[in-house]
Amino acid sequence: MSFADLLAFAMGAIRGHRVRTALTLLGVAIGVAAVVILAALGEGARRYVMGQFESLGSTMLAVVPGKTETSGAAAFTSATTRDLTLGDAEAIRRFVPEARRVAPITMGSETVAHRERRRQVGVVGSTREFLEVRRLRMGRGQFLPEGDLRRGEAVAVIGAGVARELFQSADPLGQVLRIGDVRARVVGVLEPQGTQLGMNLDEIVIIPVSRAMRLFNRRTLFRILIDVRAHADLATAKRNVIALLAERHGEEDVTVVTQDAVLASFSRIIRAMTLAVAAIAGISLAVAGIGIMNVMLVSVAERTGEIGLLRAVGVGRAQVARVFLAEAALLSLAGACAGLVVGLLGVGALVTAYPALPARPPLWSIASSLGLAVLVGVAFGIAPARRAARLDPVVALGRR
Amino acid sequence: MIRLEHVSRIFRVGETEVHALDDVSEHVRRGEHVAIMGPSGSGKSTLLNVVGCLDRPSSGSYRLDGREVAELDDSALTEARRRLVGFVFQSFHLVPRLTAAENVELPMIFAGVARAERRERVAASLASVGLTGRARHRPDQLSGGERQRVAISRAMVLRPRVLLADEPTGNLDTASGRQVLDLLERLNREGITLLVVTHDPGVARRAGRILLMTDGRIARRIGPEALGAGLGGAA
Repeated sequence: MSFADLLAFAMGAIRGHRVRTALTLLGVAIGVAAVVILAALGEGARRYVMGQFESLGSTMLAVVPGKTETSGAAAFTSATTRDLTLGDAEAIRRFVPEARRVAPITMGSETVAHRERRRQVGVVGSTREFLEVRRLRMGRGQFLPEGDLRRGEAVAVIGAGVARELFQSADPLGQVLRIGDVRARVVGVLEPQGTQLGMNLDEIVIIPVSRAMRLFNRRTLFRILIDVRAHADLATAKRNVIALLAERHGEEDVTVVTQDAVLASFSRIIRAMTLAVAAIAGISLAVAGIGIMNVMLVSVAERTGEIGLLRAVGVGRAQVARVFLAEAALLSLAGACAGLVVGLLGVGALVTAYPALPARPPLWSIASSLGLAVLVGVAFGIAPARRAARLDPVVALGRR
Repeated sequence: MIRLEHVSRIFRVGETEVHALDDVSEHVRRGEHVAIMGPSGSGKSTLLNVVGCLDRPSSGSYRLDGREVAELDDSALTEARRRLVGFVFQSFHLVPRLTAAENVELPMIFAGVARAERRERVAASLASVGLTGRARHRPDQLSGGERQRVAISRAMVLRPRVLLADEPTGNLDTASGRQVLDLLERLNREGITLLVVTHDPGVARRAGRILLMTDGRIARRIGPEALGAGLGGAA
């Protein structure tokens, strides 16, 4: 029996029961559509985040305290990990030629208040350079003034959201803001720019780094951001920063993260989450497989006479099993194709509704959901096919 | 063609053993037309199952076309059915979703006959049973007699040596029954060995000889003349 004949025969059998077939297909189709749509959403989220990162430029380095990539015994023997200090930031500014701008950063949460209105916001301590390094845009006024790292003025730059909440329609410039128990004069308001790199820039207050360290009673930095002169200088700058800080600290105890690395790890994380969500959707395919098994068992029971007849005219057990397996595979394949169409239409509708989200189903989600659907169909078709093959022809023909 | 020696077929029903066939010996020559009669439960159908290689004897020897089949495994039995045996059932056993032509084509699809040859043989086979005009009809669009003729066409399409018919006219009116019997007789004259199980003396009387079964044994072997005249020609 040729493969084409097998398929034609199986197709004929499936077409006999339109409603039942359609319902079974629906189960598989929902599973495949769910995988495709969820994977497309995840991929869209990934591309959205990547786009955000890239809009920040790709010449940024971040120095983070602690060594995350160390291997070997050194990781365990370093008894005294030195934290990042303002001295480190000054040294980088002075001795690393590729560093165009250096922005030391400390961060904390604090209550800010203007007259009777108060609000808990993130307070960032940094320098003038922070503006360029993070590509912030000023709405009104000035950013932090240039000046001595260690003697900042009592000034603050506030995010658009903070300005709106605390000052409402009044002009915040020149007004006094209480940050915890210190006072600062508002010199600038950021343009509304939403969340970047996980930080809502509308809801922050930026003050000189030395004042922030005093406010939080801290002597160390959260991290140091460096803007290098050109993308090509990233690797050299990274090496030089590590060498310089190793010399200052007596050992290599910092990690320098390039934006590419951040990008790559974000991308990995979102991919992994997408995969997990798609896998959960894939479970519904297994449920659909049970539907296929059910419909095939019913089919075997209904077609007992037909099976007996096939056996009587000299069709072997293996051939009978193949016929029913082919039907199960065809059912799942047809369901998978329908699901793919629905899924792609769904993604298309999503993109139309939310153009900002670059949702697109990744190829792996299409290939794996189709493959999985057929695999599930065949796997769940095995038991019914065996039942059909094992029927005693005499019994199947109703002759005993 | 068919040689049974001391064939028994025993079924176990709970604790008791039922001797569906009890020490049956019989020889049917090539081209014979034999009728098998007997009350319900006398073993007629079991005999037909064994002869048709659907079932195996519990003991004894059965040679079909010179080959011992009592010892064959399932796939060899399947092969023997495909090459040597055609079945015709009281209830036709046509596949309801397939047309007459597709029903006739069915055994050839699974036997691996090429598509072009299948089409020719289906056409020839349907023509020989006088159903060329009904090729595209489904079973529910055919009369009982037409259905049985499609079933006979299907049974013959792989050119078997033996045709086994179990109450072939049992579900048919007199006229259709006669047509079906005429067809079976014609095939028998053309050389096929024909065994017909029937309750109907009118059907049995057309056979060359008749086996009367009781309690799993062949009680008597008689000629058609022994059934007497005046019972009509068919069904």
